[in-house]
Amino acid sequence: MSIDPVISVEGVSKKFCRSLKHTMIYGAKDVTRDLLSISQQSNALRPDEFWALENISFTVKRGECVGLIGPNGAGKSTLLKLLNGITLPDTGMIKVSGRVGALLELGAGFHPMLTGRENIYLNAAILGLTKEEITDKFDAIVDFAGLEEFIDSPVKHYSSGMYVRLGFAIAVHAEPDIFLIDEALAVGDISFQSKCYAKLQEFSDRGVTIIVVTHNLEVVTSRCSRAVLLWKGNILRHGTPKTVVDTYNRMTTEDRAKSHVINGSRAKSANSNALGKNIEWNGLFNVNPNEERYGSHKAEIVEAGIFTVNGAPIQVIERNCEFLIKIKLRHNEAMPVAVAAYSIKDAKGLVLCGTNTLFQNIDMGQVDRDAVVLVVFRQIARLNAGPYLLSLGCGTWEMGQYVVYDRRFDYLPFQVVEASQRVGLFDPESEIEWQQLQ
Amino acid sequence: MDQTLQCATPSDPAGRSVEAKLAEIEYSPSGVKRNGANGWSLMVKEIADNRRLIWLLIRRDLSVRYRQSILGYVWAVVPPILTVGIFAFLNASRVIPIGNTRIPYVAFALWGLSVWQLFAGCVSACTASLVSSGALVTKVNFPRETLVIAALGQPLGDFCVRLLPVVAVFVWYGVTPQWGLIFVPLLVLAIMVLALGFGFILSIANLVLRDTGNALGMALTVSMFLTPVLYPAPVRWPFFLVNVLNPLSPLVTATQDLIAIGYINRPEMLAAACLFSLALAFVGWRAFHVTIPRVAGYA
Repeated sequence: MSIDPVISVEGVSKKFCRSLKHTMIYGAKDVTRDLLSISQQSNALRPDEFWALENISFTVKRGECVGLIGPNGAGKSTLLKLLNGITLPDTGMIKVSGRVGALLELGAGFHPMLTGRENIYLNAAILGLTKEEITDKFDAIVDFAGLEEFIDSPVKHYSSGMYVRLGFAIAVHAEPDIFLIDEALAVGDISFQSKCYAKLQEFSDRGVTIIVVTHNLEVVTSRCSRAVLLWKGNILRHGTPKTVVDTYNRMTTEDRAKSHVINGSRAKSANSNALGKNIEWNGLFNVNPNEERYGSHKAEIVEAGIFTVNGAPIQVIERNCEFLIKIKLRHNEAMPVAVAAYSIKDAKGLVLCGTNTLFQNIDMGQVDRDAVVLVVFRQIARLNAGPYLLSLGCGTWEMGQYVVYDRRFDYLPFQVVEASQRVGLFDPESEIEWQQLQ
Repeated sequence: MDQTLQCATPSDPAGRSVEAKLAEIEYSPSGVKRNGANGWSLMVKEIADNRRLIWLLIRRDLSVRYRQSILGYVWAVVPPILTVGIFAFLNASRVIPIGNTRIPYVAFALWGLSVWQLFAGCVSACTASLVSSGALVTKVNFPRETLVIAALGQPLGDFCVRLLPVVAVFVWYGVTPQWGLIFVPLLVLAIMVLALGFGFILSIANLVLRDTGNALGMALTVSMFLTPVLYPAPVRWPFFLVNVLNPLSPLVTATQDLIAIGYINRPEMLAAACLFSLALAFVGWRAFHVTIPRVAGYA
């Protein structure tokens, strides 16, 4: 069985121009060079140009679902356009094998004056379907879009949701081997979205390769087999969705924190780091050596753990039992007590639950420098059996933004075990009654 | 992972033998390669594979044009009749004396102008075709040549409609066309090929520089007067240069010859014009194909 990559990207760069005037001049020059078969000097920047993507390399195997994440302007959409061949790279080489279907803009190419029916035929032909294929799939497309009643009205009378549904329906029925989606799933109502996800799952099961650009990190952790984090035109991290999403979260918070740096707080915390008298749970837990830790360290999470109500440290919890999460916060200057928070993720990185002292309106007042505060969360384990990761954080809400003092993603792995089986994420604690009717 | 890979056997639910059918595409700074094919073989294959798309796009343009207008085809007919009416008046009143024509002036001018408008309409429609498709060009990858070729459909449709008043005028003046008329469609085709050649180049230029569209309107107006459509082909120096230097002139003159006298006066000029049209169309097509991936983002 060959598992050659279906997409391979080698050293690909793409440059863009900041000013419109230069864009046109460079465009005219490039076109002239192309026409005269003069090789493009495309690896050098001209005035006003910048690299939208720089030396990107990765491969995607058949059947993978890859999430492309990153802040606005990181180059995600550009990369998707390159993979789709809409624009050519300035350096490097992209190889794609298979029929590529792309959804870079839903309903691109719909003509407002034409009816839904006419637009289906036209759009499907643009996507490369033969007449027989379109006729075969026409009913399925209409059915998927849920537009039976309106199929003979001009699409200019469609609501934006209907427009989007029709566009998605046509694209998925084009039977691509490789499917590129840009943000498309953020639209439509919830029932249509779940239909889309079911279709994507079906694609995955069938071995269709999917590359999705999204800002919805839950989609990445729950649907993708791999993730790529683009940052200012470079691949910053590439790996399992969980690690990449964690890195992305850290990067965005650090980026934000930079504009909020409180002078010297990091240095001070380093000095007082030797302070060890509050460490007492050392060795009680198998903490995750690869936790993601970041923050300004104005306050710090000294240690934390999971305990039974009797105070015994545990890493295996029985479902529906009460347990405690204890967090020790040390404050490195005189300040209000930091907001303490925890969240629980599954192995893929999907956040399942969590809370913090701010959400629950706990005001712990002001403390002096070096004060240590113990915060205890008491709750019942509702989650079904499986491995989980406990993440912790402390920070404050400042000028409408959450400022992170210390965040420890995936600090502590733990297990939930169950006496009787359930499906899904948590136990709904159903009470079952029954009676014989006849 | 293992599960998905097992699905990758040729008995895929879509019924397609995946391993066998996978198209290999390579994108690099120097262009696109599909299954090892690039250049002309790829270009011809793309057009051949998309014949039906071109037809659908033509049908779209025709049906959209007349869907929201009551007078529909009337708008195609009125402008040339007005122009010819004005020139017929200027000619009759000797304000602008136009030499003798072999058939009555109104019939001569209306035919010539219809042919010229076919050319002008094709060039402007092709030039605008990419810009007016917007997101289709920037967000969907398909052979954009189809858009330019399909843009020929509507001007051709308009031309056919304009033939109605032309026939009416011929009947009114009792002009009987010669048998050479049956070769006119071939010349019409040659005129469209010439227009397509310009269209391929100008549509790309229009993506990069929107000035192209504005400049084109002016250039076409000038070209109307530099083509012997409202006046018979001049014979004196330097005016006969419009017959020689304008590649459209021999094509238009040939149609007039075929209708009025039944044979072509200057076949060597016609042959040269046809060759030029073909060459321009192929050069334009090639230029379009090479440059479109670089400029698609400008739409």
